[in-house]
Amino acid sequence: MDTLPDAFPSSTQTRFGAPFQSAALGPSSQGLPGMSENPEVNTRIKVHDPPKFDLESYIANYVGRTRFDRLYLIGTSSTVLSTEALKLAVAEAKSGKDVSQYEKAVRALSEVAPNEEDASLDAVWVHNVQRQVQAQSERLEQELRGYKNNLIKESIRMGNEDIGNHYYETGDLLAASKAYTRMRDYCTTPNHIASMLFKLINVSVERGDWLAVQSNVHRLRNAQSKPEDQLKNQPKMAAALGLAQMHSGSYLDAANSFLSTDVSLADTFNEIITPNDVAVYGGLCAMASMDRGDLQRRVLENSTFRNFLELEPHIRRAIAFFCNSKFRPCLDILEAYRTDYLLDIHLQRHVSELYTLIRTKAIKQYLVPFSRVTLNSMATIFAPEVIGGEAQPTSVSSPFVQELIRLVKDGVLNARIDLEKGVLVSNQTDLRTDVQNKTLESLHSFNQEAHLRILRASVLHAGLEVRAPDSERRSRLNQGPNLRGMGMAERFTRGGLRS
Amino acid sequence: MEVVEGLMTQSAQLREAAYLSDQNYDQQIRETVASLRHVISKKSLAAFASNASLLDHFDPVADSLVYLFLLRAQIQAFQEESRENVPPALLPPGNLWSRIVTYLRAFDPVQVRYAGQEWRQLVEIVAQAAQVVSKPILAVRPVRDAMLRLDPSCAVFTSTHLLLVRLCLRARAYTHALPVLDKYVCHFPTSISHATSKFPVLPCAAHDSSLSFITETSGISSKLAYKDYLQYFLLGGMIYMALKQWGKAAHYLGVVISMPTAGPISMIMVEAYKKWILVKLLENGKVSSPSNLIPSHTAKLYQSLARPYVNLAHSFQRGDLENLEAEVDAGRDIWCTDHNMGLVSQVLSAFSKHTVMGIRQTFAALTVKELADQASSMRMSDEATESAIASFIMSGAVKATLVQHSSGTSSTMLRFSAARSSPQFSDESKAQACLARESQSLGALMESLHEIGHHMGLSNEFVDGMQRGQIWANADDANTGIGEDAGLEIDEDLMGEVP
Repeated sequence: MDTLPDAFPSSTQTRFGAPFQSAALGPSSQGLPGMSENPEVNTRIKVHDPPKFDLESYIANYVGRTRFDRLYLIGTSSTVLSTEALKLAVAEAKSGKDVSQYEKAVRALSEVAPNEEDASLDAVWVHNVQRQVQAQSERLEQELRGYKNNLIKESIRMGNEDIGNHYYETGDLLAASKAYTRMRDYCTTPNHIASMLFKLINVSVERGDWLAVQSNVHRLRNAQSKPEDQLKNQPKMAAALGLAQMHSGSYLDAANSFLSTDVSLADTFNEIITPNDVAVYGGLCAMASMDRGDLQRRVLENSTFRNFLELEPHIRRAIAFFCNSKFRPCLDILEAYRTDYLLDIHLQRHVSELYTLIRTKAIKQYLVPFSRVTLNSMATIFAPEVIGGEAQPTSVSSPFVQELIRLVKDGVLNARIDLEKGVLVSNQTDLRTDVQNKTLESLHSFNQEAHLRILRASVLHAGLEVRAPDSERRSRLNQGPNLRGMGMAERFTRGGLRS
Repeated sequence: MEVVEGLMTQSAQLREAAYLSDQNYDQQIRETVASLRHVISKKSLAAFASNASLLDHFDPVADSLVYLFLLRAQIQAFQEESRENVPPALLPPGNLWSRIVTYLRAFDPVQVRYAGQEWRQLVEIVAQAAQVVSKPILAVRPVRDAMLRLDPSCAVFTSTHLLLVRLCLRARAYTHALPVLDKYVCHFPTSISHATSKFPVLPCAAHDSSLSFITETSGISSKLAYKDYLQYFLLGGMIYMALKQWGKAAHYLGVVISMPTAGPISMIMVEAYKKWILVKLLENGKVSSPSNLIPSHTAKLYQSLARPYVNLAHSFQRGDLENLEAEVDAGRDIWCTDHNMGLVSQVLSAFSKHTVMGIRQTFAALTVKELADQASSMRMSDEATESAIASFIMSGAVKATLVQHSSGTSSTMLRFSAARSSPQFSDESKAQACLARESQSLGALMESLHEIGHHMGLSNEFVDGMQRGQIWANADDANTGIGEDAGLEIDEDLMGEVP
């Protein structure tokens, strides 16, 4: 049963990890988020730095199954917190009814700390719970069959809901979502539909089925519920949609969704996301996808989102620094929190990509006012460790210059590197010559295309198309030269007559 | 002698008729041509044939027709005398040769339209004579001038077109063919079209398009087959290749490969495809997909028949020098048998040029050593690289300067000039000239388009109606249309198999 939302493909890490090497080489962050040393679990990202948050208070923000998922993720990713987090995870699993969760946590713990007393499987508990769960499942199915015989809609709906909840608690998420989907036909009021859809959204988030999350949010939006209900549901919908969009990689849409989340979200959606998360996700997505003007206008001056940002003041500061073109402090703040974000269940996969985007945008933004800028001054802002560490900070071999070369080659920066003088020269565009060249080119290609087509038509008209040697002679003798042309003309006339 | 006097009166009448209306002129010329053909066939001039002074009585410009037939009669007489196709008396630098050459430069293009066959035979005999003495260059100019004199637009394909490019290739006089090659060939001589059959066309009248007087019956061109025009465009492409005008060469070859076929493709087209790939590489370093006029099954055929060339292009575009060299070595026999070895070796040298051009996009200045590091393909010594770059700069392919340091210790600095330096006057006027030239050929193409539309009976209303018909036509109609075509083709195949 693979129901964890994150399969953590290692490819994202290798793809986006590389450009970050230079940025993360600072003396403060010795432990790089790199590939895991253990090849067997190399799908996991390993984090060696202690995070800034306190585990107990962090996990207290959440309720429901996400608590276990988060603890388990921290336990398997962070080397510092692994034992503590996994012990909590075991306790968490034991308080519930999901046997597979418990087994998973115990296995992970026994790898990290085999001597802990929690590290061995409590066979009695497992057996008991399994039996209970089995009995419960059978009882509920039985009840549902009874309701169905009585043909009472409301009972059937509730029966399905009970089964769904039961499966959800015991970890059979696929069965749970099937049971919730079955409720659909028996929903009689808009409220029922809304609650069913929310349950579906929760399960889909757990399963990491982001397409289902999006489609359910859209269904919810189109549901004919009362305006006040609509208002009540809005923050949860926006947050869930944002989460799904972030996971599918459309950061701008995600940022917009998070930004439109209402403050009334508070802790109503703690089984998925907290207001702090909204602030962090929204802030990072916005920084990665919006330009400075938009950031200023739509994030910093956004009165509703300000409430969220107050929960995470460092994000607010980073955005403010970015808007004021103080890129070094902005990047420093982000670097400082990299560990925290790598231990977040939803952010982990996206940290590298988001950070790369932000960094690239910062470099682009930095270059705007300059027609030429020295590589040294750029390096002090974007790669301070290079200045101290290398003999020739701006030689072609330095990682920072390599990063610039890559950006230029990818067409992100419209500039060229002058290695003799150690400057980056922005390309001057001469509109007049550009337009002239483009006109010439399009005229030329149009002429050639037109010639090709006219010539083709003439060949067909003259009956000179390429054909097998003997059939050629025959056809020209028998059928006259413009057989093809005639055929075409005939077809044309038919079309013409019809019109 | 009374025959000569008769001729003189005839030509005198013709001169007067030139001031009459087109109808009368037309009638007069037709009568003259008929009687001249009669005279020739009777061989009543045979007695005077060897008498060179006979031609002195006539003016090649004003009495074009009579002069042409007299030349014809003399050649015939010599041919019978020596029993050779090209009699010795005709060879350059004989008296008759110089008379013919003078005539081809000065004849009256209107009158000759009525004696197309004789004119063509004269042109052909000139070409043969020049080849007999192994000096094809002698015939190039007369043939070209005669073509341009008869039809200044050169838009209708004739057998003389092919003759000219053959001569130019044999004589290695590539530039001499350009006045004809640079004009777009758009038409083929056709039988009189239906639209004009009610009103007989007067060849002597002023025409917008030479298509009106170069018809299947005029004799100006010999009977054409698809091989003729395919060869013309292939050979034309080869002339442009010899002049290193890659863009035009690619267009000519593109014409060959995209000509319509009735099933099988010609070997000429395959050969053109092979050359087309190489020329495209030389032109801009990549092979764009060929014109979308080529049906997909034909494109697949090309791909499989020209496999080594396609592989070569792939490794060129991947920027993989080792692979490229391996491909070149492996296919040495293939290149030699296809006579493409010269092009392939040029492709090899173009590779490093394209690498340097690519680096120019990223760097404004760098040392030769750094360049060699950047471009893995340049694994020569620094001196060799430097001289290679120097030759690129001298050839004008790369705009850059090399700066050597006086100390001689550090590597030479290569500085690319700004991508677009300030617009210079010469560039402007050059661009203007190009624009004027292109728009002129656009105008010519438009005229050809009208002409072909007229001949195929297409008008704007007609095309509109057909489009509407297509929208309305349901799947059923489309099927019957295809069915007709398929039926025709099957019919052809069946007939083809019967000997």
